[in-house]
Amino acid sequence: MAAEDVYRQEFPVKGGDFAKAGTVACRIKELLKDLGLDSKTVRRAAIAAYEAEMNVIMYAWQGRMDLAVSTQEVRITVDDQGPGIADIELAMTEGYSTATPEMRELGFGAGMGLPNIKRSSDVFHIDSHAGQGTRLEIIIRTNGHKP
Amino acid sequence: MKEKNFHAIHITKDKCIGCVHCLGACPTKAIRVRDGKAQIIDELCIDCGECLRVCPYDAVHSHTTSFSALDHFEYKVAIPSTVLYGQFGAANLPTEILSALRRVGFNEVYDLSSICELNCAAVEEYLNEHPRPRPFITATCPVVVRLIQGRYPALCGQILPIEPPREIAAKILRTILPKALGIAPEKIGIIHITPCPAKMVSINSPATLNKSYLDGAISIRDIYPQILNALRKGQEDALMRHLFPETQFSGIGMGWSLSGGETRGLKNHRAVAVSGIQDTMRVLDQVEAGLLQDIDMLECTVCPDGCVGGPLEVENRFLAKSRILQLVAAAGERSVVDPKDVSRLYHKNFLSFDHPVSPIESRPLDHDPAKAIRKAKRREKIFADLPLKDCGVCGAPDCRTLADDVVRGLAHVDDCPFVKKEKR
Repeated sequence: MAAEDVYRQEFPVKGGDFAKAGTVACRIKELLKDLGLDSKTVRRAAIAAYEAEMNVIMYAWQGRMDLAVSTQEVRITVDDQGPGIADIELAMTEGYSTATPEMRELGFGAGMGLPNIKRSSDVFHIDSHAGQGTRLEIIIRTNGHKP
Repeated sequence: MKEKNFHAIHITKDKCIGCVHCLGACPTKAIRVRDGKAQIIDELCIDCGECLRVCPYDAVHSHTTSFSALDHFEYKVAIPSTVLYGQFGAANLPTEILSALRRVGFNEVYDLSSICELNCAAVEEYLNEHPRPRPFITATCPVVVRLIQGRYPALCGQILPIEPPREIAAKILRTILPKALGIAPEKIGIIHITPCPAKMVSINSPATLNKSYLDGAISIRDIYPQILNALRKGQEDALMRHLFPETQFSGIGMGWSLSGGETRGLKNHRAVAVSGIQDTMRVLDQVEAGLLQDIDMLECTVCPDGCVGGPLEVENRFLAKSRILQLVAAAGERSVVDPKDVSRLYHKNFLSFDHPVSPIESRPLDHDPAKAIRKAKRREKIFADLPLKDCGVCGAPDCRTLADDVVRGLAHVDDCPFVKKEKR
């Protein structure tokens, strides 16, 4: 696909910045609406982006979300520098969470983050190195994209 | 009277001086200043009235029903928002206010607090029967419904399909009165007395009914002087109302106009109340991102503190709120509605929407996806060169919106005074 047919934008995310929680996901959502994607696709992307953004804010030191939208798909790549995930399989289990009591107090840490991202996306890759960071690749196909 | 894009908010051009107060206040960025006058973009306006609050020149006009427009009705009925009870200080009881409203020229006036209680019981029943989705969002505030249709279309299915008290009350009266009075239905006018212009929109282009059961809405601000006058002249009447109160006010429904009023009567469900346009949008963003699923019901009102903060009320909202809280305390948990009646009406679908809320078509940059992508890229480029001062001089509320307008062909980069300067 030619580069001019892909919309790219990158968003920095700061670890621990709870005050800004959700702003990147919101920006992504508005953008996808402007691009004319149907509301179901937009909502799936919003859910995935929100959970991914929260993971960076809650666990990592810093991170970046890269959005690439073509007429076929929405691709969100999340790279963070952080503690990484020791056991990915365990982290993908619904209800499993390493959130601190403070985070739970704020209503986070239900252990649904990664499973929710997976459920909302058509393709989901996770790659993590303990002590270094985590990389997520989320693809949502825009089947509902009106021609 | 029904129009596709009916709006209750209009700019009076003669009064508008083209300043930027309303530009920044508009939550949906629906206002532009063109040729020195504010203009409202039809598809974006949600009739919240934020512009009306901030305009220093009284140039934002809200289109509500005038009392004289009711002349053709043989029999006029008023069902005032319970906000009205908070407008006249502690000396005037709700029963006197209703009586004064009769003397203003209504044949009959009905209290809404009982219907608020009825609505609450119906909502509880609906939540019991529908464990999913969560949270449900109540449909009382017409601006919230409009906001969801346009900006959160994925949430349309989460709007709880029980009509708000004003429509339920009007529907009941419209069913009963013609027979009871022997007057033709079209000769009976049922009018809401409203603290906000958006009720006019829900009457003229209802989102959930085939036709509204109300014939109009008079602004509290417009009818206030007449009620005040009637109250002043009605001291004997006041004594009568105190000694022989004819209306049983519902303790559960009395606080309905305050944020949290709708949720207060729920017994078995977890509910959250949000008020104010910015907070409402923040919470709806979260719901759209899949949060708050452990909440059963979300009450959103875009006016600060609930309907009591409506832009068309007269009393300052803190005093009005204090007065209503007094009335709530006085009425206690008094229930005036028979649960059997609620259940019967509920199961007959008498309280339900005629049809679900449907999304309003969004405004993509282009209907061709490839072109939309190109325009979005161009928009970022344009935005990067703008000064980020969000001054409004170009006529758009902020730099991001100017960039958006430019790629849509609605504005020119040169409209920005700073870009021009640098070029020269």
